[in-house]
Amino acid sequence: MESKKELPKFAVLQLSGCSGCEVSLLNSDEWIKNFDLVYMPLVVSTHKIPEDVEVLLVSGGVRTDEDLHNLLKGASRSKKVIAVGTCALSGGVAQIGEGHISRETYLDSAHRLRLPSMLPRAYPIDKYVHVDLYLPGCPPTPELFITALTEAEDAKIASIVCQECGRKKLTDMRPTSISGRRSGTPDPEICLINQGYLCVGTSTRGGCGALCTRPGHACVGCRGPANPYLNKDPEFVLDNLRRVFTRMTDIPLEEINAELASPWLSLFLGQFTDYTQDQSLPQRTKEKMI
Amino acid sequence: MTTLTYPLSRIEGHARVVIDIHDDEVFRADFQAMEMRGFSYYVQGVPAEQITVIVPRICGVCSTAHQVASVKALEDLFGVTPPPLADEIREVLLLGQLIQNQATSLFIFTMPDRVNASSLFEMGENPESKERQFSLAQMSLKIRKIGTDLITLAGGQFIHPIKTVIGGVTSSIPREKADSMIKTIEELLPVAVNLVDNYWQMSMEMVDRIGTWGDDEPTYYLTSTEANNFRLNSDRLRVMCEKGKECHIFAPQEYEKFINIESSDYSYAGVSDFQGHIMRANSLARINLTESFGTPIADAYLKRFGDAHGKPAHAILFFDLCRGIELVYALEKAKQMLETDLQNGETMVKYQPRDGIGFGLVEAPRGPLIHRYEVESGLIKNADFIIPTVHNMLAIRRALMVAAKRYVSADGINSELERAVGRVVRAFDPCIACATK
Ligand code: SF4
Ligand code: SF4
Ligand code: SF4
Repeated sequence: MESKKELPKFAVLQLSGCSGCEVSLLNSDEWIKNFDLVYMPLVVSTHKIPEDVEVLLVSGGVRTDEDLHNLLKGASRSKKVIAVGTCALSGGVAQIGEGHISRETYLDSAHRLRLPSMLPRAYPIDKYVHVDLYLPGCPPTPELFITALTEAEDAKIASIVCQECGRKKLTDMRPTSISGRRSGTPDPEICLINQGYLCVGTSTRGGCGALCTRPGHACVGCRGPANPYLNKDPEFVLDNLRRVFTRMTDIPLEEINAELASPWLSLFLGQFTDYTQDQSLPQRTKEKMI
Repeated sequence: MTTLTYPLSRIEGHARVVIDIHDDEVFRADFQAMEMRGFSYYVQGVPAEQITVIVPRICGVCSTAHQVASVKALEDLFGVTPPPLADEIREVLLLGQLIQNQATSLFIFTMPDRVNASSLFEMGENPESKERQFSLAQMSLKIRKIGTDLITLAGGQFIHPIKTVIGGVTSSIPREKADSMIKTIEELLPVAVNLVDNYWQMSMEMVDRIGTWGDDEPTYYLTSTEANNFRLNSDRLRVMCEKGKECHIFAPQEYEKFINIESSDYSYAGVSDFQGHIMRANSLARINLTESFGTPIADAYLKRFGDAHGKPAHAILFFDLCRGIELVYALEKAKQMLETDLQNGETMVKYQPRDGIGFGLVEAPRGPLIHRYEVESGLIKNADFIIPTVHNMLAIRRALMVAAKRYVSADGINSELERAVGRVVRAFDPCIACATK
C-alpha cells in the first residue's frame, strides 16, 4: 500500500452553506485513495488547516467574520483553491431576500456575545482570495467533483442542460401561461416549456445530467450560465431566456419577466452577476469553469 | 474560573461546547451554534409556490425532510390531497434520507470514537488494520450510497430533491429501476447488518473502557412515527412523559400548545421545552415509542435492544445503537415498498393556490419537523421552521453537564473529557444549520 505521506494533501473548508456540497463529495469514494485528506471537519477531527495543502476545496459563502478569517488562512496555506457550489460563487441562498425589509431585522437579530458576527451580506470567496477553478452547482454532482479533482482535461461536459435532458421541443404546443406545475403530472417525453413551465435549461451549463428536468421539474439553473453568457451583463442572459420563451410560447411578456426576476431563478441566474457588476471582482473565464 | 472550549467536528455545521468550572466544580455547560442561517427572514416575500425549492437549502443533510415538509405545508394551505401513490413515493424518499443520514452518523461521525480515531479513514495503525479499515470505510460508503440512490430514484435530485411537488410527485418509479434497486439492497443488506453488529460490538467495548453508556435521567420523548406502523411521512406527534407512558397525541397545527421555542443569548440556535420539561427527539425517542417495525431483522434488533437495556431506555449512547436498528429497518422497508407497484397510477393532482396558514409535518432523521407558512397575496408573509435539533437542546446541555461532572474533580480535568464531549454531542446528531433561529 502506498505510503500516505506521498499523496497530495487535500483540505475541505466549509464556510456558511448547507453542507450539501460536502455530502455530495462523500457520495464518491474515488478521491479517497488519491489524496491525503488532512482537513474536513465534517469527517475528520482536525481544527487546523495544515501548511502545504495541495488542493483546497471551499464551499459556502463568506457570511461571518470567522468565515473570512478561515478563508484567508486556508488559501494562504494552499497551492490551489477550488470554489465549489453556488454559495462559494455568489454567497448563495443567503442572498435571497436581499433588499427585502426582513433583511434588516435579520441582521439586527444576528449578534451574540463572543460568537462570530455577520457581515452585511454573504460574499463570494473570490472577493477575497484567488480562485483557480470554479465548480458551480447546488450542489455539483459527485462526478463533477471528480472531474475537478482529477483535472480531467478530456472530460466532456454538456454545454447546456437541454443536451442531457432528452425531452423533445415541439413547435405546435404553445402554452399561454406558466401554469405547468398546477396542471398535474407532466408528460415525460415533451419539453417542459411546451407544458407551461419556465425551464431555464436552455442557458444553463450542463454536466448535472439534467437531474431535475428528466423526472419532470423545471431546471432552476443551479449550474449557472453556460459559457456564452459568462462575463456578460446579467441582462444578456435574461434576454436570451426571454427570446426562448417568446419563441416557444404565447405567455405574456410581463408574466415571463416576473418569473425571471423571481427568487428561485434569480438565486441561481444571479450567481454570476456579482462579478460583472463589481469591477473589483476577478473575471471568471470559461477555462476556469468545470 | 476556568473556561474550557471544545470546537466540534464530525457533526453537521459549526458548533462548539463551552464548559465553565468554578472552584473545581462544573458550573455550566453550553452547546453553541456558531452560525446563523436565518431562513425565516430570507423567505419573507417569496412567492409561496417557490419555497419548496428554496428551503431544502436550509441544510444539505436533511434537505429531503425540509422539502417534503414544505410541500405538505402548502398542500395543507391550498387544500390539496396528493394521490396515494405520491404518498408512497414520498415515504421511499424519506427512507432514503434515513439510510443516508444514519449511515453517515454511524460510520463517518461516531465509529471513529469507538476506537479513539480521528476519522473513518484513519482508524488503522499497522498495514493489516489499515487494510481492514479501508474495506470498512468502503463498505460504509456503499451502504450510505443506497440512501443517496433511493433519494435520487424517488426525489430526482440527489441532495435537494425536486420530484415531490404541490399535488403529488412529478413522476413515478419505473419497474426496472425499482428492480435494480431491490437487487442492490438484497446484496448489501447482509453487509449493513454486519456493519451494525460490528458497531454494536465496538460500542460495548468502548463502554467497557469508559465505564458508562452515558447514564442520564428520563426525559419526555417526542416522535411523529406510530407504535406499530412506522411512517416518516407522518401526520401526528406522540409524546412519552417521564414516567414512560404515552401521554399526548397532537396534530402539527397544535404544536404551540405543547412546545415552547425561544432563542438563546449564548448560541445562534433556538431552544425548546415541552410544557416546561426537557424532551428528546431523534432515534432513541422513536425506538422508545415503537412497539414493532414490521420488518424481521429490525424487529429482532428492537427486541435485542429492549432485552439488554429495557424500554424506555435513557442513556445517551443508546441514540447511536438505535440509529443502527433504524438503518436496518429502512433498508428492509425500502425493499418491501419497491416490491409493490410504484409505477402505475396517478402521481399528481391539479391545484389552485390560495392564501391562508398551513402546516407540514414529517419525521426527519432528527425527529418531527414542522413547517408553518402564512401566505398573503400569494407571497410568504411568515415562515416558521420547528426543528427537531432545537427540541434536543436542553437535553444536550444536561447530558454535557453529566459528562463534565464525571471528568472534572478536585484532582483536575481528566483528559477523557474532550472525547466525552464529542461522544455526547454526536449521539444527538445535531444539525446546526437547521437549528439556528
Ligand atoms: S451550493 Fe447549494 S448544496 Fe452547496 S452549500 Fe450552498 S446551498 Fe448547499
Ligand atoms: S425541459 Fe428544459 S432542459 Fe429539457 S429540453 Fe426543455 S428547456 Fe431544455
Ligand atoms: S437540472 Fe438545472 S437545477 Fe437541476 S441540477 Fe441541473 S442545472 Fe441544477
